[in-house]
Amino acid sequence: MGVFLLRRAASSLSVLALSVVLVFMSIRILPGDPVLAKLGAATGVTPEALEALREEAGLNRPLLVQLISWIGDAFRGDLGVSYFSQFPVTQLVTARIPVTLEVTFFIILIAVVLALILAPLSTLKPGSIVDRVIGYYTSIGLSIPGFVVGIILILVFSLTLQWLPSRGFVPISENLVENLKLMILPSVTGGLTATPYLVRYLRASMLEVKQSPFVRTAEGKGLSNVRVLFRHILPNSLVPTLTMLGLIVGYTLSGVVVIEYMYGLPGIGSLAIESAFKRDYAVIQGVALTIISFFILTTFVFDILCGIVDPRLRLAKGQKSEI
Amino acid sequence: MKFNWRYSFSGFLILLILGICLAAPILAPYDPNAIAVADAFSGPTAKNWMGADDLGRDSFSRILYGGRITILIAMAATAIALLIGTTWGLVAGVRRGWVDEFLMRTADATMAIPQILFALVCVSAVGASVISLPIVVGILLSPTTARMARSAVVTELASDYVTAAIASGTKRSKLILSEVMPNIAPQLLVQLSINAAAAVMLEATLSFIGLGIQPPNASWGTLMLQGYAKIWNTYWFVFFPALAVTITILAFNAYGERIRVTMDSRRSSV
Repeated sequence: MGVFLLRRAASSLSVLALSVVLVFMSIRILPGDPVLAKLGAATGVTPEALEALREEAGLNRPLLVQLISWIGDAFRGDLGVSYFSQFPVTQLVTARIPVTLEVTFFIILIAVVLALILAPLSTLKPGSIVDRVIGYYTSIGLSIPGFVVGIILILVFSLTLQWLPSRGFVPISENLVENLKLMILPSVTGGLTATPYLVRYLRASMLEVKQSPFVRTAEGKGLSNVRVLFRHILPNSLVPTLTMLGLIVGYTLSGVVVIEYMYGLPGIGSLAIESAFKRDYAVIQGVALTIISFFILTTFVFDILCGIVDPRLRLAKGQKSEI
Repeated sequence: MKFNWRYSFSGFLILLILGICLAAPILAPYDPNAIAVADAFSGPTAKNWMGADDLGRDSFSRILYGGRITILIAMAATAIALLIGTTWGLVAGVRRGWVDEFLMRTADATMAIPQILFALVCVSAVGASVISLPIVVGILLSPTTARMARSAVVTELASDYVTAAIASGTKRSKLILSEVMPNIAPQLLVQLSINAAAAVMLEATLSFIGLGIQPPNASWGTLMLQGYAKIWNTYWFVFFPALAVTITILAFNAYGERIRVTMDSRRSSV
């Protein structure tokens, strides 16, 4: 287990390091001057003043030096200062993280519950009407952009039925009921977009498990279909799906960017979009680092979870089991 | 081969969408940017049969012209992703060793960066245009293509005909280009289709958050952004572009899925 843990950690860390370098470099290499963007239409700026601003922001130092000092600072929790508001990026990001985590939590909750209902339903009788309808839902669900799902939900529940608000945010500390009410549409939007992936994956692995001898035994001793499905097939198909769930948590964290934007939720996603409009690279960089770290952390945790649940997965590629 | 209507249907749909967008100047009843204030916020009528927007511009004409931009970007991005991704995967799969390790770790790292976020960074730096968007989207789609190409090449290189070719002294470049490449072409076609769907989705998403194609030009994503802003006035305005995007993505995904299924069934029947 120790070796497995170390190996996974090393691989996660190397991916993290590489992606951090990629984000940092792509921002530096691409044209577009943050100092010019900051000054905007201000007139009468002398080249000397421009140079001084650049010097102050440390943009004149060699790239490698900038990279190393940025990583060093990031380790100490300092992600730099916004080029515009002069607020520390760490402060901006941490202030907005709770909202993003809340939506993400609800999205995953909805997706998991729906998948645990739909996948067993469709494997109960492969090829039946129910299975086909669920199949259509997953195919269409995989092809509909998240925000289109959002538009449909807003049309139905806000515009036509007028049950739910379509925009805005109230902190939990202020009013829990209002907060939850405003969370419904964003969470359902994200949940419905994430569910098809899970259903497809879970269904495939359930069908595979269904072929195993122990399932035949269970059927042979006269257990009902439903019991076989929920007591024997489902638990055994969860492990591969767990890996998938880790990936989905990651994708949801990034998909939430658009959802936050369209529902006006003040999370780190909308922070990234606002900063992109202003070319506030320091902030975008900070948000990117935060989301990437979360993504890699979740996949790491889920990998370890799978290893705990199924010891066979702890072996390295090509390594033979001793049994 | 048995005629499969689903297979042909999605392919037909793709051709139809491409054809309609190409023929936009002939098919569009109005100039997409012609303002007719009297028709503003009109629902579907005999005159504007997909309705009109807040300035009375004909939605149908705008969707036809918007489709040209969306499809053009998606096609260019798909081509770029295929070019970069296949080369990336081929080199990794053929060279193996530390080159492989490095290239695949880079692919992992690129995939760990959320696509939208990476696109935000690039677009905010270079601006969004018909030139920059395909490049950004193409780069975003290349790591998955690379992984696919690599695994296809590795499987192919382990097969008997490759051993035979090497034994008979075929040059490696010739082996890869004229023996292995044609054999992984179907897998590349599947990836091409999936990439096209993903490219349409990414472009639409970027334009929807306002960082894609800028007005007065409009892709489907831009149209949806404008429609979403006016959703309380009329929902027709956002409905039709959303429908167009969804059908297009669905067609590309379905086509890719069909080829994959056909490929798998042939492989298992051999």
